[in-house]
Amino acid sequence: MERRPVAASTDCRPFLARNEFLIRRLHSLTGLIPVGAFMTVHLATNASVLDGPATFQRAVYQIHSLGRLLPVVEWAFIFLPILFHGLLGLVIIRGGMVNTGSYPLIGNIRYVLQRATGVIALVFILCHVFHMHGWFHSELWLERVVEPLGGGRFRPFSAPSTLGAAMQGGLVIPALYAVGLVACVYHLANGLWTMGITWGVWAGPQAQRRANWICGTAGVVLGILALSALYGAMTVDVPRAVEIEDALYEARVTAHKLAPNERKRADAERTGRGGSRVE
Amino acid sequence: MAENHREGEAAKTFDVRILRQAGPGQASYWERHRVSYEPDMNVISVLQKIAAHPRTADGQDVTPVAWDCNCLEEVCGSCTMVINGRVRQACSALVDRLLEQHPDEIELRPASTFPVVRDLVVDRGRLFQALKKVTAWVAVDGYYDRGEGPPQSQEEQEQLYPLSHCMSCGCCLEACPQYARVELTRGVDESPEEFVQRQAETYDRLFLGPHAISQVILFNSHPTGRHMSSLRLDALIAEGGIQLCGNAQNCVAVCPKDIPLTTSIARAGRAATVHALRKWFDV
Repeated sequence: MERRPVAASTDCRPFLARNEFLIRRLHSLTGLIPVGAFMTVHLATNASVLDGPATFQRAVYQIHSLGRLLPVVEWAFIFLPILFHGLLGLVIIRGGMVNTGSYPLIGNIRYVLQRATGVIALVFILCHVFHMHGWFHSELWLERVVEPLGGGRFRPFSAPSTLGAAMQGGLVIPALYAVGLVACVYHLANGLWTMGITWGVWAGPQAQRRANWICGTAGVVLGILALSALYGAMTVDVPRAVEIEDALYEARVTAHKLAPNERKRADAERTGRGGSRVE
Repeated sequence: MAENHREGEAAKTFDVRILRQAGPGQASYWERHRVSYEPDMNVISVLQKIAAHPRTADGQDVTPVAWDCNCLEEVCGSCTMVINGRVRQACSALVDRLLEQHPDEIELRPASTFPVVRDLVVDRGRLFQALKKVTAWVAVDGYYDRGEGPPQSQEEQEQLYPLSHCMSCGCCLEACPQYARVELTRGVDESPEEFVQRQAETYDRLFLGPHAISQVILFNSHPTGRHMSSLRLDALIAEGGIQLCGNAQNCVAVCPKDIPLTTSIARAGRAATVHALRKWFDV
């Protein structure tokens, strides 16, 4: 397979065409597993910050207990499925049209919203991962590109304080997050309903109406969870969070439960960590 | 409005705005006709009146407006057009009702999903090509008498009867946001047979539409039709198959025969997935 990326873009149609059914079914499936499932867990983890910085920090330690495997898991089960679902989604959007002007029916409006929220969600996720995570773990990339651009703000071993610092200081970022979150939640809840039709889980009109209620309720619950997580991040008491997370970090390092890793901790000058440690 | 007409005022008229087109590939244009009102007209009788006196509202003599119709009782589907922005059959579109919604004017457009042959006549070939693609029939012809088919339960009959109401009118395709219009023109050095072949191949690569998906359910549930079910499911999972449905559910909302199209789509989606998995792991 000697194929250059440029040639691949023109050659990909026959491949997409030949495997259209399989690819579309995979697209539908990845929306729920792993993307939707990950999103639910991610929102629940982040909403745990409402219980206090310690709860959130412990939840993050649990995730980071994967150690060096984490980037593999991240890419295999989160980033690649999201990219697959999102980029193929753009191809799918190109195959449809908006005719709500002639047919202003509720199902048709939901069809358009599903595509609009999908695009918003894709842009939001790309920005959000850049803002918090930085996309790649390479030191050079993070120091030279991401951090000067204001990204890569989240540090897993200083989780509540860096999360709080990234989401505080102005309402622009929280407002953008709110839009992105609502788009993601709508896309998942409505997508769950259409997925049930696509796979033939609910077929009859009554069954579809019942499923609509279930998916709608799931959407509302997820929406509350998402906005709680956002509110939680916006109201973290950063100096107090620094104390708590540093105590947790040092306890873990002393107990040999954790290999010291300054890269995963907050920059001293940003959160004033150095000062608090001297006390 | 209609009340006034019934009171028998002298020379009550209404206007009909028609999107006309002389032939394939030609530019379309709007034309206004003035028609004298009579009680209990339908859009076909309006078109007959216009054909009898093909003169526009501003007095210009024009060619008669062409349209398609056959049964005049909403079972053949041939007079499908867009009337006041809604796709439906001209024969069952009653003028009195239309004037209640939009006083003094009726707007007629050809169905936009299909290539225009002339004026309101469209070529629904792609619709029928999809039915061919999914083998939307029961094969009963053969060299010997196969005897009676297996009986069908009352319950099954009741479930399938609504699906058999499909009259291939194309309303579902007109409303579907996943079914984009495709119009091919014959090449200079292309024979008619080659063109028909190319047309069929092109149509087969594009979304087959809810009507054909529903016919798969109808014939795959039929006791004799069932024998060819894997052939139909192969068509459903081929390029342009059921996977292109976007779940907008416009089809079921506009179907003049109230066919539960989205139920068929869900059942066909389930059958198609099982069929694809079976092909993958079982064969």
